Amino acid sequence: MIARFVVRMIALMALAFLALPLAVIIASSMTTTEYLSFPPQGLTLKWYGAVLADNAYMMSFATSTLLAVCATALGVLIAIPSALLLARHDFPGKTLLAAVLAAPLVLPYLVLGSALLQFTGYLGFAQTFWALLVGHVLIVTPFILKSLSVVLTRDHLDFERASADLGASPWITFRKITLPLIKPGLISGAIFGFITSWINVELSMFNTTAALNTIPVQLFNYVQYSVDPSIAAVSAITIFISIVVITLVDFLVGLDVFSNKQQRN
Amino acid sequence: MSSRAALILKLAAVPMLFFTAFFLAPLGVVMTSSLMDASSGALSGVNYAKVLLDQYHWDVILTTFRIALFATMFCLLVAYPLAWYLVRIVRSDLWRRVCIILVIVPLFTSNIVRSFGWMIMLGRNGVVNDFLKSIGLVDRPVRFLGTEMGILIGLIYILLPFAVLSIGTALSRIDRSLERASKDLGATPAQTFFHITLPLSLPGLASGAIMVFALAASAYVTPALLSGGRVTVLPMLIYQQYSTVFNFNYGGALSIVLLVLTLALVGVANYIGRVKGER
Repeated sequence: MIARFVVRMIALMALAFLALPLAVIIASSMTTTEYLSFPPQGLTLKWYGAVLADNAYMMSFATSTLLAVCATALGVLIAIPSALLLARHDFPGKTLLAAVLAAPLVLPYLVLGSALLQFTGYLGFAQTFWALLVGHVLIVTPFILKSLSVVLTRDHLDFERASADLGASPWITFRKITLPLIKPGLISGAIFGFITSWINVELSMFNTTAALNTIPVQLFNYVQYSVDPSIAAVSAITIFISIVVITLVDFLVGLDVFSNKQQRN
Repeated sequence: MSSRAALILKLAAVPMLFFTAFFLAPLGVVMTSSLMDASSGALSGVNYAKVLLDQYHWDVILTTFRIALFATMFCLLVAYPLAWYLVRIVRSDLWRRVCIILVIVPLFTSNIVRSFGWMIMLGRNGVVNDFLKSIGLVDRPVRFLGTEMGILIGLIYILLPFAVLSIGTALSRIDRSLERASKDLGATPAQTFFHITLPLSLPGLASGAIMVFALAASAYVTPALLSGGRVTVLPMLIYQQYSTVFNFNYGGALSIVLLVLTLALVGVANYIGRVKGER
């Protein structure tokens, strides 16, 4: 009983610990003072207006979004054949291919980012959108691949064989059978990939410039020099977006990640 | 060529080309340039000698891994009860959903935003110091920003969700009948926990620990913001070389050292986890 009480207390404190900094940011973005203050003095949305009127912020929001959309789209195009290949076929070098495709998950973003700066420099497109895009495709792909490999099961193969036996072309089989079956994994993988790209600093910071910036890197640059409430407002906007996306994921695929217990008991 | 081999090649072509061109090749470039003398371009171990034969670098490496180790320990200590609470104690589905969203929202928020939150809170007049003063624990504000303590708090915050998800998944997969059997055979709850549940959750604990440790050792944003330039960790040295000094040879050697040390420690942890898990 005492143990249960202690566990409950620690858990509730941990939840408060998780919520607190985000709540503090949202609260301080509404201060009426010209400097960052918590608790906020008064309540205003003027800093949000300031952010929306600021061209640099808006450009960065656009760059980040475009980058994440392109990276996720390319990531899907790379992850689908990889997932099919790894789930269905045996061939020499399979373990190696699987390891390489998963490697960006464990390699520090910082190392990958610096490597890409140097490498794209040699190829002549360092600090361009394309340099950013290649890096983001690398970090997005493993997420999509991982979530696809969870949904690709043996039964899918039976459906596909049946479809082929009935005379469907491989493309029709893919579109009418495989794609609908892997859709849940594809959606959750793509959303996770998108977010991974959208919030990344450590990979992007090498290939961004004053003119070409993503929102997290721009925030990072600003926070190091000056801190005013508009930075809190931008941060708060990203928190709101993340809450919306998570609620969306919860709605689409369900987030009750620990729910095996119903089946067990 | 058989049609099966042709199909395999067709599926593998794009992923293989992309990852070779933009993942393996850049890493190869880092590796080779780390082995080259910056001025002459000749093959040499001078960059590694500069890193590994120097007390300053070892101090930085030690600081980096000390912070990563503490972050891992505290994350696991907090994550286990929280995961337990979510999997075993919470009865209401709605409340569990809210809790899981609370755990995941920080994961979906940039680490710059999360560290910024702690910058506001850990300042001299921040809420943390206000709180400590109000309960009478301290009478002068404690300095958090610019100390290892501040970095540690930020990293624990950023990495806690990874540990919770990893441990929670392991806990939710445990076959409860094993615990009931242990209880029926007369074991106390504590005995059941230490002999049945904890060992069964060990894989989740190990994978959570490995992830947290690797991410903590290679974190740049959080230490950069919360150190105020007073504490240096290895990723900061790497960023310096690539962004302001432009010595890619020396920077490459630092990158490889970070990579090798992290992978080595992760490998050791993995090995220990496996040996323990088999028993």
